[in-house]
Amino acid sequence: MNVTSNAAQLVRQTLTGEVWPPLADRHGYRVGPDGQPFALPGMGGMTLGVHCGDPATGYASDHLEPGASVRHRDPGANMALQFLTCVGNTVRVESGPAAGAVGHVIGQHAYVLVDFPAAVSEQVTTGDTVTVTATGQGLVLPDHPAIVVKNCAPGLLARMPGGTMPDGRLEVHVAARIPAEAVGAGAGMISEYANTDLMGAYAGLGEDLSLGLEGLCLGDVVAIADADHRYGRGYRPGFVTIGVISTGQCMLFGHGPGPSSLMSGPADAFTLVEDPAANLASWLHNDREAGK
Amino acid sequence: MTAGPGAATAGATQPDRDGGLVAVAVNMLGVVEHPAMGDSPYRVDADGHPYLPVGDGGLVFGVRLGDPVAALAGDHVAPGACLVHPEQAARHALVTYACIGNPVEVRTGRAAGARGAVTGKRGEEGRVIAGFRQDDLSRMRPGDQISVRTCGQGWADPGLPAGVVAMNVAPGLLETLPVTRPGQGGVIVGVRAVLPSKLAGNGIGRPAAGWDVDLQLAPGDPLPGGGQLLLGDLVAVTGLDARYNLGYRRGWLTVGVVVHGASPLPGHGPGLTPILTGPASVLQVEVDAAGHTGLTESGLQLK
Repeated sequence: MNVTSNAAQLVRQTLTGEVWPPLADRHGYRVGPDGQPFALPGMGGMTLGVHCGDPATGYASDHLEPGASVRHRDPGANMALQFLTCVGNTVRVESGPAAGAVGHVIGQHAYVLVDFPAAVSEQVTTGDTVTVTATGQGLVLPDHPAIVVKNCAPGLLARMPGGTMPDGRLEVHVAARIPAEAVGAGAGMISEYANTDLMGAYAGLGEDLSLGLEGLCLGDVVAIADADHRYGRGYRPGFVTIGVISTGQCMLFGHGPGPSSLMSGPADAFTLVEDPAANLASWLHNDREAGK
Repeated sequence: MTAGPGAATAGATQPDRDGGLVAVAVNMLGVVEHPAMGDSPYRVDADGHPYLPVGDGGLVFGVRLGDPVAALAGDHVAPGACLVHPEQAARHALVTYACIGNPVEVRTGRAAGARGAVTGKRGEEGRVIAGFRQDDLSRMRPGDQISVRTCGQGWADPGLPAGVVAMNVAPGLLETLPVTRPGQGGVIVGVRAVLPSKLAGNGIGRPAAGWDVDLQLAPGDPLPGGGQLLLGDLVAVTGLDARYNLGYRRGWLTVGVVVHGASPLPGHGPGLTPILTGPASVLQVEVDAAGHTGLTESGLQLK
């Protein structure tokens, strides 16, 4: 992105975490939109076969978290890991047969979500430790004072197309536009943690549930209408939030594929360019599975 | 039935008129909450300004059903006492099973013996909001034990048309609210306002049996159709299905009770505890922006 930033002033911090196990309780089932009970994998652990650039929906899964789901064992250190880690940060595997392999953060979802090449993913399991090189919080675009940037590694910003336009707006390429009606769980939460679930992408579950979002891909950069995520996550007419789809298929009602927030500001501070290639896979994950 | 607050719903069970399942009452312990804060007193509002949240949980007096939401200076201010339980699992159960209109009785402290009624509930860790007479509230303190006679959750009201689900209401409460059943299989609810689902904020995606949903109305935002929002008002939200989790569904309608005031937090606002949800073709509303009367102290016999 052709834009002036304070990237040279940002510090990098070395953080640690581990691939966290999926969690369940002894009752097992949760409830879908029409009261359907379900027990489906997707959240926690090392999820295989789904990477940036792949469809977000169409899996027998709930709260699909592609790749590794990472937490820190200490609650306070975990919040630091979740708040300070940014999309695009590098993550190194430290234990197990994949030790030394490197992947990228694709978002947050109460876990730091890390995509690795398929051959690496096969060798990573729950409990493996990782090192996150966290940098990006505090990123500022001095020529765009109305826009707040967060959860965005300076390396990702540099690779994204667009930038400062002659009229002073910031051009951002987006793969999809999201209507305000789609915003589900995550509304009202802080925007440096977890993501915003999008309703209206319950593939195959009925026309009355659809908001036309079944075509989203993991890693897509999207624009949420009337959303102000500068200091939390709320509905505000005339604002727009740019995010990256970091989670996929959901069966739980009021949930769905979710963007992690990257930028937020008044809509007239942005020029949005619709671009199907606006996906992390285009910029960070050139080594993903062949044929996909 | 005994006289006093919540008397309309004080029975241990409520026989079903059409031979359906009978609602079961369970006495549960609630404890008056003490507000809790972290090391920093500040939260951050939608414009990035720090503020100190006042009245978010615990015991609040001087605020009553019928007060304008816009007149409350605090954060998520609820009228009366917020009830919790020290064990989180028991707290979730208390909040899930308590229904608006259920009777409550103070068991300990200087207000022992005072009676009130459930006026709403809040999500996240969960709080039951209980209303009392103001002189009783002034003698209560955090830690006081309150017995809540929970009854109504999961009970199918046989007077409602097929497809319409009642929740979070004591058997008999709907009869005290502007809910009419014209006889052709429909139900008509009088409300202060109808809002679009995109205003449904914190609480969406969560189970409606144990959460409220915040309406993303900033302090001072006008209501569509005019009028002002009062604590206890009934409000309808279009495109919102609350039968299980709260979520978007085209052609659906959810009606709830305004149980707490506004919040400077983005994504938050006056809280709506859902009480009726169903297809908009069957669950109909009549807006009375100026003259609406919803849940009141007199209806709950709190005066």
